[in-house]
Amino acid sequence: MSVSENVVGAGGTSLAPAQTGTVLRVEGLSKTFPGTRALDDVSIEIARGEIHALMGQNGSGKSTLIKLLAAYHSADAGATAEMDGAEFEIGKTVPHGLRFVHQDLGLILELSAQDNLALRGGFARGFGGRVLWRQQEAETRRILAAFDVDLDIHRPLAAATPVERTVVAIAAALQGWDGDGVLVLDEPTAVLPHDEVQRLFDVVAQVRKRGTSVLYVSHRMDEIFALADRVTVLRGGRRVGTYDIDGLDSRKLATLMVGNDVDPDFRADVVARTDTSVTLEARDVHGKWLRGVTLEARAGEILGIAGLAGAGTLELPYVLAGQGGPLASGELRLPQRSEEWHDVRSAGQLGIPLVPSDRQTEGVIAEFSVGENLSLSSLRGLGRTGHLSGGQERQLVEQWSARLGVVTAGPSAPISTLSGGNQQKVVLARCLAISPDVLVLCEPTAGVDIGTRVAIYRIIADLAAAGLTVIVASSDEGDLLALSTRILVLRHGVVAEELATDGLTKNELIRAIEGAGQ
Amino acid sequence: MSIKVEEKTVAAPNATKAEPRSGGTSRWVNMLAFDKVGAIYVWIAIVIVFSFWAPDTFPNITTAKQILNSNAITGLAALAVTIPLAARVFDLSFALNMTLCGVAVAHFVVDGIPLGVALALGVLIGLAVGLINATVVVVMKIDSFIATLATGSLIQALITLVTNDTPISDAKLSGGFSKIGQTTVGGITLPVLYFALVAVGIWYLLEHTATGRRLYATGFNPDAARLAGVSVARLQFMTLVTSGVLSGATGIVLASILGGGSPTAGTPYLLPGFAAVFLGATQLKNGRFNAGGTIIAVLLLGTGTTGLGLANAPQWSGALFVGIVLIAALMVTGLQRRTTLTARAPAVDEAEPQPA
Repeated sequence: MSVSENVVGAGGTSLAPAQTGTVLRVEGLSKTFPGTRALDDVSIEIARGEIHALMGQNGSGKSTLIKLLAAYHSADAGATAEMDGAEFEIGKTVPHGLRFVHQDLGLILELSAQDNLALRGGFARGFGGRVLWRQQEAETRRILAAFDVDLDIHRPLAAATPVERTVVAIAAALQGWDGDGVLVLDEPTAVLPHDEVQRLFDVVAQVRKRGTSVLYVSHRMDEIFALADRVTVLRGGRRVGTYDIDGLDSRKLATLMVGNDVDPDFRADVVARTDTSVTLEARDVHGKWLRGVTLEARAGEILGIAGLAGAGTLELPYVLAGQGGPLASGELRLPQRSEEWHDVRSAGQLGIPLVPSDRQTEGVIAEFSVGENLSLSSLRGLGRTGHLSGGQERQLVEQWSARLGVVTAGPSAPISTLSGGNQQKVVLARCLAISPDVLVLCEPTAGVDIGTRVAIYRIIADLAAAGLTVIVASSDEGDLLALSTRILVLRHGVVAEELATDGLTKNELIRAIEGAGQ
Repeated sequence: MSIKVEEKTVAAPNATKAEPRSGGTSRWVNMLAFDKVGAIYVWIAIVIVFSFWAPDTFPNITTAKQILNSNAITGLAALAVTIPLAARVFDLSFALNMTLCGVAVAHFVVDGIPLGVALALGVLIGLAVGLINATVVVVMKIDSFIATLATGSLIQALITLVTNDTPISDAKLSGGFSKIGQTTVGGITLPVLYFALVAVGIWYLLEHTATGRRLYATGFNPDAARLAGVSVARLQFMTLVTSGVLSGATGIVLASILGGGSPTAGTPYLLPGFAAVFLGATQLKNGRFNAGGTIIAVLLLGTGTTGLGLANAPQWSGALFVGIVLIAALMVTGLQRRTTLTARAPAVDEAEPQPA
């Protein structure tokens, strides 16, 4: 099947740039970091009122381009840029009509929507600097009304849903600007659960309706097909080209990004197992979202966990790894090791490693080297009685780096010099280095480009073929379809459905996740 | 496949970079780099400056010994808080703990309790303080900065209870008790030896044990460390127990040097202790609190303040010097980190997956 089957239309027809003119034009843009050419003679042209996607793998130069537009980096000499016909110095100044919503949204979650908007747009002030709260409130409501969002503007944003926060960030970026302009959305869905993506699309469509162009950066191909009019593809710091979305399909787009025929509908070569012995049993698992999940997994099986946000999908892996926090309850058993049931709160000692969902905050230790990150879980085995043997550590790190194909300058290179996909491989290697029977993964390919994504799929599939039990929870159906031998669909914290993946289509899976026909 | 070639050119500068381990020469060059041991160059500069400024009093072996002897306690205090800081736990109560253990042992000795027992009791008090700190911070989950400020106040209450805010002095204190801190070997006092021993111990712990690695992991990213199987809470607990024992022992040595129990003995070491650790963290292993860096920092700050004294600079110049050095070091480190962050090349994934 093709991903574009699943298009959820954002409304509006494709606008040909020739008819509407160009709002932003950048030419000959390069950026050299010491030792690396991050961007090489890149040009991009955004038409008035279009949604223009920017795609590329990690390290393709996408984020460098955005950072140059935002004047966070300075550009190499030789670039020209103009906005609405007026030239500006890219990398030094940001034209008034160019607005940004960065991936982290840049909001203060402890403050309300009103305060967040006012911090950027200014407070309505009267005599002596007194804030005119009534006027301020009216202004806030006026701004948010344009986005059709129903939100308590006085509540801290921490209590708002992720999509509401994204909308506030978009509103904050656009306030005080009524012209055409360009809104840059950098991976806006990275933090959104699947079922909220559609609401964001509606908001983006509204932004376009006011005449503002959108430069939309994303990893997710189905979004590009659902939303964008044109797409500019970068690869290795160079521009591959700009294409009308109508003339592309997901395979073509993937090829443009990777430069090599990678199958976006890759399915790992694993077979469903019912003959092997059960390696993990969980019963009556509760948590913040989970309401009594019972499951068992077999050796050599890759068990997928699917579900909407709030169904407990992304909580279950943490509970199984004994990291469920104070709300978790339930019992676990590893029948091959013992018949004894363990409380999930003390399941950390069972040694079930977890690849966590958020690599930056829970996975890598940014200040550590590649080697220190990789060996962190297996330090006990390196040397005798507390002594840490540098030689043994190095051997372990080199062995695993080679096995998983981690691209790095060496074990002592800082982890932050690696791309997202390679950092993920290091976290995966850390988990595998303790030789587990069961491996739990949560969002294993978040922020990982297609090439590395398939590499990670293959690694996991090979491990399963060698007898490892893998449990993978993901909000990305692509992960589940590529890997799983069997999928448990969670709804409202319980297992609602069990799907065999043989012949399962993406649409069938999505329907099951959304509980259609219930 | 075509992309491979392009990527190689992008990745090449990274991939071909020599490993610091591989070559003998590059290893030494790397070890002497300004961003690793900048404080040593500053220290050499200071020595030269004072050799010209106070040529009669500064450049001789007596001054060198004096610098070591008068900074051993600062060094011990700094080492005491190095371990908790490695795990990003603050022990602000350490200076008052020093005072408490010092006056307690002085009190016991004056009471006629045998020296060995008195010393053991003193260290046990330090241990108890550590356990209380650890319980408040780790079990009750109160931020260590505030928590140890609060327990410091409790310790102050005990100090006042023991001393009535008057120093404890007695002829009994000039016996064996005074030998602990006042014995000299070739002009070097015993506390310098203690400092060296503790520094070696902490260096080994942080650099060459699994526990040390886990402490740093805990300090840098406790969530990631926990998910990687590190017992974060237990380690944080142990760091405060360790600093309790170490600062207690340091306080006893200080009381021995002073020849009695002063109710304010430890307080002057609070700021120099933290200054030395934070300055030390900018040395050798950038951003990591480490024993070697702490030694360099203590020597640098000690040489500066001693030199200013010998050069008859005004009284206030010592504190000014410490403040300026600390700000300068942290600023330079911050700048270095920012340059490496912005200069960081966005690395490129390999296109061809190479599974196991």
